[in-house]
Amino acid sequence: MNPLTFTLKIRPKFTLDVAQLTPDNLAGLNKTKIKSLKLPYGKNKVVLDTLFNVTGSDSKNIQINRSCEKLVSVGRKMSYGSINVNGDVGKILGSYLQGGIITINGNAGSWVGNNMSGGRIDINGNAGDHIGAGKPGDTFGMTDGMIKISGSAGDRVGDRMRSGMIIIYGKAGDFCGSRMHAGTIIVLDKAGKNPGAGMRRGTIILAKKPAHITATFKSNGNLKIQFLRLLFTQLSNMGKEFSIFNKFGPEAHRFSGDLARNGKGEILILQTLNLKKVA
Amino acid sequence: MKINGVYIDDTFAEAFPMKATRIIITAMNLKWAYRAANALRGFASSVIACGCEADIEKELSPSETPDGRPGISLLIFAMSMKDLEKQIPMRVGQSVMTTATAACYAGIRDGHQIPMGKSLRYFGDGYQISKKINSRRFWRIPVMHGEFICEDTTGSTKAVGGGNFLVLAKTTRHALSACEKAVEEIQKVPGVITAFPGGIVGSGSKVGSKYDFLPASTNEAYCPTLKGQVDSELTDEIGSVLEIVIDGLDEESINEAMRVGIKAVCSYGPKKGICRISAGNYGGDLGPYHFHLRKIMK
Repeated sequence: MNPLTFTLKIRPKFTLDVAQLTPDNLAGLNKTKIKSLKLPYGKNKVVLDTLFNVTGSDSKNIQINRSCEKLVSVGRKMSYGSINVNGDVGKILGSYLQGGIITINGNAGSWVGNNMSGGRIDINGNAGDHIGAGKPGDTFGMTDGMIKISGSAGDRVGDRMRSGMIIIYGKAGDFCGSRMHAGTIIVLDKAGKNPGAGMRRGTIILAKKPAHITATFKSNGNLKIQFLRLLFTQLSNMGKEFSIFNKFGPEAHRFSGDLARNGKGEILILQTLNLKKVA
Repeated sequence: MKINGVYIDDTFAEAFPMKATRIIITAMNLKWAYRAANALRGFASSVIACGCEADIEKELSPSETPDGRPGISLLIFAMSMKDLEKQIPMRVGQSVMTTATAACYAGIRDGHQIPMGKSLRYFGDGYQISKKINSRRFWRIPVMHGEFICEDTTGSTKAVGGGNFLVLAKTTRHALSACEKAVEEIQKVPGVITAFPGGIVGSGSKVGSKYDFLPASTNEAYCPTLKGQVDSELTDEIGSVLEIVIDGLDEESINEAMRVGIKAVCSYGPKKGICRISAGNYGGDLGPYHFHLRKIMK
């Protein structure tokens, strides 16, 4: 069966909420019903057929072509299957994701994977701020799953995240891993100022020294960290896209904190390689 | 039935249902992985008094282990899940966690989950860290050599314990050489262990005793020194009997292990002192698994 494919006919003028386009919501619907779905469009609603050409029938595997940053809430609350997007997407990608895989072949906006509790989001491009973070008022950010960004990400990556993993192959902005409760963030290029500010637990792994570490982190010196060996072995076994982790060893400079919050988190700055040579 | 001149008794080995798990121990190198594994499998020859039966299953190359270091897989068998849940954290805690550079992972994922790191994490006294990778939870426990990594739980499975055969020979030396060869061959079969020292039982037992407090006692019918004194199973020429006991994850693997083991023993033949092959059973009423020697060796 061919994937159920939505191809944008024209570039939307307003933000278009495509939260309904998930395998969960489209299962059992025929093409006529799908075409007549009404999507929030700016302040109004629009019939799906006016903006998208719909082809294919496999609702477990959804494809969105010619996407742009006006499309928001892609994959919201999805629990199984896959969504493959060719082009950019806007904010709140994969929020409340429970399972399945979302792949974006383009850039994504802010709040990727907020409150997600499972599944995986792959962004083959850059992403905005607050990746895997909790929305204002939420106690926690993402509680499980994985977000992989092949480009760079903005500020406050993993703010208040509770569990799961975020891997950023490029740069991360300021306050990466701020207020983390647990989980793992890996940044393979330069991170901005104050990573881990306010973190209670969790691990931030940086391939390069960040712009600035807050004074409330204490250096534990250079160590061989057995967990890194396990982590990198497990990641490199996940497929070609993770083979870069073969190059890393367990040696890292460990900082623990944030002591201002009596935190037991850690920032591990890898000692073994210049990533530019590997990337 | 005779194989290479060795008589195969028309009898069967009687085996019991057990519960089992597999764990993987890794360390800086194989030497230290063996130290941890040997400590864990120590005093684990028989459930009669040890609580479990455990042995090394095989060596693992770095590409086969979760953390990319050399490792060893062990199989641990117990009569009930409760026993397994008691033995695993205790043995991993005292034998693996205390071994420098060692780490411990699940070798079976499915089935009832038996706590490992889930119990041992408290040793971290609040500094332990939980990490989830690919839906598997690991515990990082800070210890003096660095950190002890232990998977949260290990899975378990139904298993079979007590597959066995007896090697009846002219002398102990004859029996021992043949049994050593048999154990070597059995170790090549996946999913089985021979938990007794060197894989060989020097003092096979029968169920019960004249003493009320003993659950098992010497199998006098196969003791050469009691020939003539008891209703012995031994003929004049037999001067020593050794037993090989096999635990396995399923009936098929025990079948195969018994087959290769008996074949190896028989290859020594009467010229090298091997007279008969027999097996231990309790009349067939106690264990649901019956491994008939002649059927296996057909």
